Amino acid sequence: MSFEMWAEKYRPRSLGDMVDQKTIVERLTSFVKARNVPHCIFAGPPGTGKTTAALCLARDLYGEGYREHLMELNASDERGINVVRETIKTFARSRSIGEIPFKILILDEADNMTSDAQQALRRTMERYTETCRFIMCANYSGKIIEPIQSRCAPFRFTFLPREEHDTYIRHIAERENVQLLPDGIEATFEVCGGDLRRAINTLQSAASMNKQVDAKLIYSVTGKASPSDVQKMLNTAIDGDFLGARKQLRDMLQKYGVAGVDIIRQIHREIFRLDIPEPLKIKLVGITGEVDFRLVEGSDEEVQLSALLARFVEVGYELRK
Amino acid sequence: MYAAWTVKHKPKSTAEIVGNHSAIKAFHDWVNSWSKGVPKKRAAFLYGPPGVGKTVSVEALAHGLHMELVEKNASDYRTEDAINRFAGLASQYASLFGGSRIVLLDELDGLMGNADKGGVKAITSIVKTARCPIVIIANNAYDPRFRTLRSYCLLINFKKPMASSIAKRLQYICELEGIQADENALKFLAQRSGGDVRSAVNDLQALAQGKKRLTYDDVSWLAYRDRQESIFSVLKMIVYGRTTYGAKQAVDMADVDIDMLFEWIYENAPAHLTDPHDLAEAIDALAVADVYRGRIRASQDWSYMRYVIDFMTAGVAMARQNSKVGGWIPFKFPSRIMMLSRSKAQRALRKRLGLKIRRKCHISAARASKEFVPFLRIIFKNDVQMATGIAKWLDLDEEMVEYVVGTKAKAGKITAFLR
Repeated sequence: MSFEMWAEKYRPRSLGDMVDQKTIVERLTSFVKARNVPHCIFAGPPGTGKTTAALCLARDLYGEGYREHLMELNASDERGINVVRETIKTFARSRSIGEIPFKILILDEADNMTSDAQQALRRTMERYTETCRFIMCANYSGKIIEPIQSRCAPFRFTFLPREEHDTYIRHIAERENVQLLPDGIEATFEVCGGDLRRAINTLQSAASMNKQVDAKLIYSVTGKASPSDVQKMLNTAIDGDFLGARKQLRDMLQKYGVAGVDIIRQIHREIFRLDIPEPLKIKLVGITGEVDFRLVEGSDEEVQLSALLARFVEVGYELRK
Repeated sequence: MYAAWTVKHKPKSTAEIVGNHSAIKAFHDWVNSWSKGVPKKRAAFLYGPPGVGKTVSVEALAHGLHMELVEKNASDYRTEDAINRFAGLASQYASLFGGSRIVLLDELDGLMGNADKGGVKAITSIVKTARCPIVIIANNAYDPRFRTLRSYCLLINFKKPMASSIAKRLQYICELEGIQADENALKFLAQRSGGDVRSAVNDLQALAQGKKRLTYDDVSWLAYRDRQESIFSVLKMIVYGRTTYGAKQAVDMADVDIDMLFEWIYENAPAHLTDPHDLAEAIDALAVADVYRGRIRASQDWSYMRYVIDFMTAGVAMARQNSKVGGWIPFKFPSRIMMLSRSKAQRALRKRLGLKIRRKCHISAARASKEFVPFLRIIFKNDVQMATGIAKWLDLDEEMVEYVVGTKAKAGKITAFLR
């Protein structure tokens, strides 16, 4: 019995397997041919192949034993300055054994690094260029400090276009004996918007429920997969049940570990979809913005967000009057 | 909405009152002595700590002797009008319907400050000539303001009843309410009350109402509570406060620290604010208090604490504009605190699970729990075979599998294959 997460099982192993991001792949392939890689920034939304491209590059460059020449760090988990001073420095300065004189360090989610850590990184990158090349993956290159950006070759990843998305998903469905109906594939693209990781995870979850995957199944999966059912919470509040809404908020924060800033981002989006008078929407956005700022300042997530929920209760009450 | 148990289960006769038998007997004898003519002391001054049964004794006795009880509220004393009316009542031998009457002046120490020094004097002169029993109740009879008044009164001291007697009373109430209560749970409540029977009954209601059973675990968290002024009455001062000053005072009376008091208010205020505008304003005030807490943390400048206090107490109190004062709504222990300590272990588990996923899927532990776990949850619930494969591949332990599927039963099916 061999089961794994399909997103991993079908991750391309070589640059040649990558169906998307054509221009990027071409340039990276030319690095492999030249056996030289500059420092790089891979910027783009999630699920568009940044980490995959970095791993493929390393594998194509070093062959099967590529693991020995590669270090993968994730800035979200190890974002402090000490990681730069110790782990990264130690790896970067030791010489590589083999034909290629440098190693590769993939720094994933690099936009989550503190600016102190980034400043420290900048010198390390310069000093050890000969022995180590950095590939920084980030959602927003803007969050990476200017001096690092100027030392790196930038690559901009974009969401997969519909066609490439479909090819990929169909290929997986075939291999896994899943009957993927046309409206199912359409729904997948619609809910995942070209985020391939999410699309594959959605497909696999759907397949665990039924081997025949249609649009309805896909929608039910995405419904279940978002523990932060912000829309439901807001409706509870608008219906006048503050305590119920606060309980849902509490569950999201504590039980499912959803971050407050993620919830507020969704609330912001939902406001414009609500069936309430237009002027109220902008009023609510104003309050949302203030709460957002307070969260960034480090205020208590639940207290601040429930203050916002109470305003939704108020709006609902006004509408019923 | 329920009736307060302190009202519902108020003693109907003096025999039901917890403790203070000799005080009640002395009081009874004095009231009886009126039937043989006006006694030397025309007023009885009942004093003692709150919640030991002073008022209830008067009520039960009057009821038992079929006397009319005329009760004056503390807030009436101020007005000259009320004092005159009171004088009129006291000067008559009997009530309109021929029976005898007792005039009760409750909570005498509650109100009078410098503003109405004349009040005690006026009461004293009425007592001197009273023609029916007058009962004065205060916590401290030895307050200097009462020096003259005291000399015209029969002083009767009510003491704190023993915890075992209070526990017995609680047991009796539980039987009436159909609650099976552990003996040590009631003993704990009785001891915590420090002799205040009323607060013990209030606590009992808050903890036991609607339950079939009351265990020691249900009550033991009360250890957080202080005795000086129970957290419930502190909350009342805040949630139903009418002045900013009064609400702010509450902080000094609570023995819990500011953060804990904040949690109590945050948990309980919403249920007591029926009007959505009031609710929004109150939570807003709490949110602002929280912002100042953050500023204290950031700047380490504790002088901002005054704003935290102002907003969490007075801010919440002043939010009440249109909310109705409903029936009995029990105050609850802040459930967020309980959840936080419970979810601490869960957070650690989530982190470990995230790290397992990271090893295989090239994604941070933080994002793994956001982007993978929800999907894993669906797969694990629906396809045992696929779930088992993935659990093996990710090298999950049983605890993690259980966290993902949510139930022990389903986890068992998956982990059975793992072994």
